[in-house]
Amino acid sequence: MLSIKNLQVAIEDKAILRALNLDVGSGEVHAIMGPNGSGKSTLSHVLAGREGYQVTAGEVLFEGEDLLALQPEQRAHKGIFLGMQYPVELPGVNNMMFMRESLNAIRRARGEAELDAVEFMQRVREKARLVELDEQLLKRNVNVGFSGGEKKRNEILQMAMLEPRLAILDETDSGLDIDALRIIAGGVNALRSAERSIILITHYQRLLDYIQPDTVHVLVDGRIVRSGDKQLALELEEKGYGWIEAEAAA
Amino acid sequence: MITAEQQRSWAEMLMSHPDADQSGQGPGWLVAARKAARQAVAELPVLDRKQEAWRYTSIEALLKQHFRPALNTDNNPVLEINDCLLPDFDTYRLVFANGRYDPHLSSIKELPRGVSLGSLRTALTTDPERLATWFGHSANHSAHVFTAMNTALVNDGVFVHVESQVQLDRPIEVIYLSQVDEDPLLMQPRNLIVLDAGARATLVERFIGFGQSAYFHNNLTEISVGQSATLKHYRVQDESRCAYHLSSLYLSQQAQSRYHGTTLAFGGAWARTEYNTTFKQEGAVCELNGLYTVGDQQLTDFHLDVRHSVPGCASREQFKGVLYGKGRAVFDGRILVEKQAQHSDAQLTNDNLMLTRNAEVDTKPQLEIYADDVKCSHGTTVGQLDPQQVFYLRSRGIDENAARKMLCLGFASEILDSIEVPALRDAATGKLHDTLNAAVEAEG
Repeated sequence: MLSIKNLQVAIEDKAILRALNLDVGSGEVHAIMGPNGSGKSTLSHVLAGREGYQVTAGEVLFEGEDLLALQPEQRAHKGIFLGMQYPVELPGVNNMMFMRESLNAIRRARGEAELDAVEFMQRVREKARLVELDEQLLKRNVNVGFSGGEKKRNEILQMAMLEPRLAILDETDSGLDIDALRIIAGGVNALRSAERSIILITHYQRLLDYIQPDTVHVLVDGRIVRSGDKQLALELEEKGYGWIEAEAAA
Repeated sequence: MITAEQQRSWAEMLMSHPDADQSGQGPGWLVAARKAARQAVAELPVLDRKQEAWRYTSIEALLKQHFRPALNTDNNPVLEINDCLLPDFDTYRLVFANGRYDPHLSSIKELPRGVSLGSLRTALTTDPERLATWFGHSANHSAHVFTAMNTALVNDGVFVHVESQVQLDRPIEVIYLSQVDEDPLLMQPRNLIVLDAGARATLVERFIGFGQSAYFHNNLTEISVGQSATLKHYRVQDESRCAYHLSSLYLSQQAQSRYHGTTLAFGGAWARTEYNTTFKQEGAVCELNGLYTVGDQQLTDFHLDVRHSVPGCASREQFKGVLYGKGRAVFDGRILVEKQAQHSDAQLTNDNLMLTRNAEVDTKPQLEIYADDVKCSHGTTVGQLDPQQVFYLRSRGIDENAARKMLCLGFASEILDSIEVPALRDAATGKLHDTLNAAVEAEG
């Protein structure tokens, strides 16, 4: 589904990703872990098409198509979803209206019929229950005055609404207490399917107790230096990143 | 540069125009007021950049225009009113076609007892003594050349009187239609709005200009809100893109009265709105909201002069602007709290969203406080759309133009949502939508 080859990315001429390779198959869940500044968020932003990053080499194919040639909205139309680490607040933009516009923009781009107000309401109510999001928050402005946990739940709600082919969840677990983490993980697990791939970006092994990954990658200094199964995450939890950084430098 | 002589001779030419002749018409007090105002024109200072209130708003282009005063009925073109009516909006409707009241386009039926509503021209004939009680009491005729000119040629306008404790069941809607195909016209409605103690009313003024009509709409409105009375006053300025527009509003509030004023300014080549608020007694509340959009070849200017001269009154001013292309805006909000006006509560904000580099705003909130026990604040912002917000929306499949538009509408929503008349709110939202479409497409 997703194939990243020799991806090199710089921000203002400072190299962040150096020859990153990653293949994610359909239905797979990959966790990417790594210390601060290793390039995890850069990877998620480059995949979603955020401005300000120079791709200096390499390619990213999504279902065989050159992903980097597409605008952010086109990537969303193809089925890419980025759950943000820091979801922004949108003053004056109603949450429900926003989600309806978003869903219908994607449906239009795919040549599907738009959902009318009634169909949309049914779906959003159903999905809001999945992430235990208070329906009152749907009537508010996007993320304005939401707690940290509510913002993250609102992200997973959008994922549930948009049913992406590939969801990249950037530190969705950061700032969550254990109950909120369980709810979010429950939502994500409910959305796992053979057609949907997920990339989990996280600092901590904790999230992976709730969402079992197929593969764990360790990103250090812009490269994936080790890949393995869930055991690798446990090992990192125990020993920290120091030993792996030392190995990578050697 | 313009000179005092230029300004004087321009105004003099308009006032001496054969079409402006109404010698001896009207009650004696009005004839005297016209005459005094005409004399004042000769002595008023030139509105050049040395005048603080006109520093950012040049009248040079305006003085180059040759207008014909629209005081005669034959200026009225055939206008299609149905295109201008809002759906599901049941009102007492007064229509002014090119500055003159048009009874055929208007609809004032089944007025409740205790309500006088109609054209000033008619009221001057039928009830001149009652008008004399209020006329010119709130307004400063010699504030500047344009208010003096309005007074010197008083001819027609809106007259509203809601008697004590009467509550109007429907809004009063005033539509100013301007359709000028030939010589540019000068239209100067003179409005008098009076609410006695405990009265309640909603007034909606809509300024509509057709096509490329060229004219100067120089209106002056005096508003008196009696004790514990409430006036909700909405104004939608959608003049033609070739029009000059000046609204001078003079507001006088009695104890415990409430005035909610909202002006939405979309049109005009050169448009200025002046609010002058005077609190006569304690406990009054004045709320002024505004939303403006300006693009290429447009200047919109707001001047607020809110005077807290008695204790315990509150004023709230919130104005928001969306600027695009080479649009220019001016905001000058002055709040004066005099020494004796203890426990005044005044909050003023002006936020500007700049969609382009070439747009320009001059914003100047001024709080002058001489009392020591007050709650006052002011704030101004000038900013662009946040790229992170745009990216957030795009990452959800919404294209860039739509994302920018959605954020602009969000920015304006605070003002639009405060409109309590649904038909008007929908129409204003639609108008903003169309404006943003044009603005965002042009930039994209």
